[in-house]
Amino acid sequence: MKTSLAFLLDALLGLCVSSMLLQIIIPELTGLSIAPVIIIPTTILWLAIALLRKASIGLLFVSSKNERPLPNNVRAHMGWIAFCTSIVAGWIVTDISPVEFFSSEGLQGAGRIFGALLTPEFDVLPAALDAMVVTIFTALMATIVAVPLSFLLSFPAARNVMTGGAIERTIYVLLRAVLNIMRSMEPIIWAIIFSVWVGIGPFAGMLALVVHTVASLTKQYSEQIEDVDQGPLEAISATGANRLQVLWFAVVPQCVIPFLSFTIYRWDINVRMATIIGFVGGGGIGTLLTQYQGLAKYNEVGTLVILITLVVWTLDVASARVREALR
Amino acid sequence: MPLLSVKNLSHTYPNGYQALHDVSFEVEAGEFLVIIGLSGSGKSTLLRCLNRLVEPTEGTILVNGQDVTHVSDASLRSHRSGIGMIFQHFNLIPRHTVLSNVLYGALGTTSTMSSITGRFTDQQRQRALSALEVVGIRDKVENRADALSGGQQQRVAIARALMQQPQLLLADEPVASLDPATSHSVMDYLERINKDLGTTVICNLHFLSLVRRYATRVIALKGGHLVFNGKPEDISDEWFRTIYGEEAMEVDIR
Repeated sequence: MKTSLAFLLDALLGLCVSSMLLQIIIPELTGLSIAPVIIIPTTILWLAIALLRKASIGLLFVSSKNERPLPNNVRAHMGWIAFCTSIVAGWIVTDISPVEFFSSEGLQGAGRIFGALLTPEFDVLPAALDAMVVTIFTALMATIVAVPLSFLLSFPAARNVMTGGAIERTIYVLLRAVLNIMRSMEPIIWAIIFSVWVGIGPFAGMLALVVHTVASLTKQYSEQIEDVDQGPLEAISATGANRLQVLWFAVVPQCVIPFLSFTIYRWDINVRMATIIGFVGGGGIGTLLTQYQGLAKYNEVGTLVILITLVVWTLDVASARVREALR
Repeated sequence: MPLLSVKNLSHTYPNGYQALHDVSFEVEAGEFLVIIGLSGSGKSTLLRCLNRLVEPTEGTILVNGQDVTHVSDASLRSHRSGIGMIFQHFNLIPRHTVLSNVLYGALGTTSTMSSITGRFTDQQRQRALSALEVVGIRDKVENRADALSGGQQQRVAIARALMQQPQLLLADEPVASLDPATSHSVMDYLERINKDLGTTVICNLHFLSLVRRYATRVIALKGGHLVFNGKPEDISDEWFRTIYGEEAMEVDIR
């Protein structure tokens, strides 16, 4: 009795899922006579898998009425079904449409933009280089302003530094919370805020990057501080040094190299972010790119894309080299 | 008056583990006191209570008759700066030079500003150089501390402790990560400092052969209790088994 109830549930479930799948893959077919021809074998296949694996939603439902704990294969099956359902649901929600991807109209559009991008218009190059310099310096200034701030904040944000009772503990928790909120807001949102505050341009972009960089670097720095070898701390404390001296002579020397490495990597990230921030009024190459994209001048856009790729790639390689050498 | 007197000292860690139970002993100036006991018997905790790297839960510590159990801030720092300490893992500042590491021994008596800006006095530099002379590595002053061998690093650590011009030197397993030959050389330096400079030494050790060779007096801890207090030659086989357990066998390092 119970087993047949389980079969029935599995069959119904299989029917639902396979008709959903059919709807997604070939929407024109639903309601046509060909639909049952596909749905019925899929349902049977579904049922067969459930039977052979002895692990099905039906069995799960039935066995949950028993006192016996769930067998492992049922649990595994649950996970498997949840995974498959998420893919199906995700497909529907994100409007994935292979038809549009491969339609002749779509392919024509792709051909047009790729053609334009691959035949760049180099007249725009002087302006592009100027804008690129702005972007690189926006990122550099943001990093330089953020580093001393992050350095100072990283000590009160490190658990092993803030050990002096309830007040210090509170400062630590509050600071961590504020930094987490600052970091959760993407720089592009900060750029929108600052472009209203100080007006559109590289300064707004720089401020947005400063906020995000301070939040990220402080976290990285303070985690490094929490990770230092405690031995030198004990040794310096034992000489009668005060707290500031212990931090300066026992903690900082252990952190200098990792701090440098994080900072260089952050500058590299900031150049990429400065480009994106330009889209919403942060100045530099990003702003130039949105202007040409708005005018549908894709040959110029092609030049800008090539330039951005080159700069990002060069910086990526260079910063990796420098960080390697620092180890 | 004894240099150091420890009365009814107990320590319980925040997790509830009681490392020391009611430990009392005295140390006269000029002694070379060795603390023995199994790993986890409370030796390191006891040593760290003496310079308050670990806060005693109960009991009192007197140095030259002065109660230092609850002093804080400036008095705590001056208490610490009068006591040198060396460690099993040397605990030097890597990447910094040998000379800098020795100068850091003077941090307790140097103002924050002048130390952070690196303005140590010529007199302090001279003292650092002569401390390095005592441990025989004056030629390494400009080397990076982490480029030295283990034995050399421990000698720099001793020089850093000497820089404090301490009346008492604490040594926490000073030779536990060194090979036997280097161990003897490091212990010889400690002995020389004890005999020539008159510095009192309190040292945690594992090897009884080293204890018999260097100690003027021995105390033994077992499970946080003080179970032996006497001359090294008085540690009979029976005492040995009491301290280290029935299964223990004595191993020699020469």
